[in-house]
Amino acid sequence: MSKKVLSVLKYVFLAVISFVSVFPLIWMVIAATNRSVDITKGTMIPGSYLMENLNTLLSSDLHYMMAFKNSLIIAVITTALAMLVSSAAGYAFVVYKSKNRERVFNLILLSMMVPFAALMVPLFRLFTKFNNMGPLKLIALNTPMAVIIIAVATAFLIFFFRQNAQTFPKELLEAARIDGLGEFQIFVRIFMPTMKSCYAAAIVVTFMSSWNNYLWPLIALQSPEKRTLPLVISAMGTSYTPDYGMMMIAVFIATIPTAIIFFIMQKQFVAGMTGSVKG
Amino acid sequence: MKLKKATAVLLTVAVTVGLAACGSSSDGNKDSAKKDDNKLTIWAWDEAFNILAANEAKKIYAEKNPDVDVEVVTMAQDDIVAKLNTSLSSGAYDGLPDIVLIEDYRIQGYLNAYQEDFADLSEIASPEDFAEYKTGVNQIDGKMYGIPFDSGVAAMFYRTDMIEEAGYTQDDMENLTWDKYIEIGKAVKEKTGKDMLTLDPSELGQIRMMLQSAGAWYTDEDGKVNLADNQALKDAVTTYKKLVDAGITKTVSDWDQFVGAFNNGDVASVPAGSWLSPSIMKAEDQSGKWAVTAFPRMAENADSVNASSIGGAGWYVLKKVGHEDEAKEFLKETFASNTDLMNTLAEEINLISTLKSAAECDYYSKGMDFYGGQEVFKDFAEWTAEVPAVNYGENTYIIEDLMTEVMQQITSGADIDKVLSDYQKQAEAAISK
Repeated sequence: MSKKVLSVLKYVFLAVISFVSVFPLIWMVIAATNRSVDITKGTMIPGSYLMENLNTLLSSDLHYMMAFKNSLIIAVITTALAMLVSSAAGYAFVVYKSKNRERVFNLILLSMMVPFAALMVPLFRLFTKFNNMGPLKLIALNTPMAVIIIAVATAFLIFFFRQNAQTFPKELLEAARIDGLGEFQIFVRIFMPTMKSCYAAAIVVTFMSSWNNYLWPLIALQSPEKRTLPLVISAMGTSYTPDYGMMMIAVFIATIPTAIIFFIMQKQFVAGMTGSVKG
Repeated sequence: MKLKKATAVLLTVAVTVGLAACGSSSDGNKDSAKKDDNKLTIWAWDEAFNILAANEAKKIYAEKNPDVDVEVVTMAQDDIVAKLNTSLSSGAYDGLPDIVLIEDYRIQGYLNAYQEDFADLSEIASPEDFAEYKTGVNQIDGKMYGIPFDSGVAAMFYRTDMIEEAGYTQDDMENLTWDKYIEIGKAVKEKTGKDMLTLDPSELGQIRMMLQSAGAWYTDEDGKVNLADNQALKDAVTTYKKLVDAGITKTVSDWDQFVGAFNNGDVASVPAGSWLSPSIMKAEDQSGKWAVTAFPRMAENADSVNASSIGGAGWYVLKKVGHEDEAKEFLKETFASNTDLMNTLAEEINLISTLKSAAECDYYSKGMDFYGGQEVFKDFAEWTAEVPAVNYGENTYIIEDLMTEVMQQITSGADIDKVLSDYQKQAEAAISK
């Protein structure tokens, strides 16, 4: 009997929690189908203004789809490069021994403690210098690379890959060396496939943080045609008469890519976060 | 060694991918001095208001100057502030706009810190052409740095049906004092069960409007914090407390709820800037039930008049971006003088212009059905001329953060004089940082 009560309580608790976390999403979808005036009145019934809101969004001169494309390009390249660079770094910290290895690693960890707001102005001044420095123009302000480059090697990712690389079996490494594989080959052919779930977790995290990144793109990207989604959505925010219907459809569309990435990698993501390796 | 080769390959891939991503984006980074590419950039916020206005101006300007390419960019106001702050403080003008909209409450801070970055507009406009209260904030050393744009003239929007149900007439709402307003509010509450107005404890627009109606502010004429010995502030705070104590206020916590309250018909009146009108008119089912009267005055304060202001902004030219002359020319032909533009904007976005000559616009003498045929624009324009001029200083938002705490303590019963003198010190400390 008491077991039954307990399980009922458990499900009630879970239902409440999941309602609380899912409600904002449901509200977003409902709001996207209503007029602004109905939303402020607090309606909870799906309306028939979805297409109208979508039209307002696409025909406004905010260039929403262009921003969507920009965000996608930046997020994909950032994630791809970050996976290569940061995982190689994390791998190296475990596999190659050297005298100052731990010191360097601690220094990297230390950089996690500095808040980005403190780095912003110095970074901005540094990047303005790039504008007049020949090849460095590639990563100068107002280019997607300016946003990508600072997210490629992050302390968190290096730390994450180092922790996971420690569970990478030494025997595999030695066996590969004996069989005559080069160091880079070992990394690509042995390490990468073994750590699949770890990569999946890192991809989800990196893609999401790049997709939602706000402060640095705001400062670094100047022309309107280079702006990313968070900037465009933020531009809809301040107004005397905000159009909530349009904002909600904009937010809704912006949620889709992260949702897709997450659902594709869900299984590996969970495995990766808990740190399992198939030997 | 194989490793080296592999690294080289990796690097090449990274660079190529980067190149492809940038595409044609690496151009346009020449000197930040004068440019002759005939391109003007304007930054503003609010798609449905400022941006629309800028686009109308662009259209008018293009008729006479087809070779100048004007680009209007929508950005959140906070984003504009963040970008101006980083760029101006590091002296990097690349990517900044030629013309930027800046809120009246903030402009003094910019003009004091970066005076040499803003163009002197005295030659294209003169303060006498604009409502007096708008030109106090954009002048330094007698030079005018901005073209005043929208009027945030304060008004009392109210539901005629509810007022009448409570036993009052529209005449009672004329020449209103806060005491009378509270009296009517109590009757409304009793007869209809509805609240008289909304209050948002985290947004003190109400206090700011009361202050300006008495020609006062959180700061004195020299921009120094003035909370402790500020009679107008004491009166405003007292009035605010009276409103709360009367039990006729509905508490809201954000903009969304604020708009929802009057769209739903939950409150009988809304004291707000004239710019709120489009939001009120969104509730089409309430057409004909609204009217507008002048902002109430504080009877106990001799300086207080039936006019005030909230919000509002002006156009400024950043001269080091490279198109100073073109930008000035643009403003001269549009926002600084063009009454036709003001007429169009009145019709399209309900703009109450601060350009004095705009009062003669045709649209201003048009009765509006939503407000029972009232010539709302004419009234707004009339009140605009009466708004007392106030120097907002540099620190309005910093002080206001503290003021929300002050108001919380006072509405829960703390001694007004004591709280204000405590916070005088706190505000001084916050600003000297």
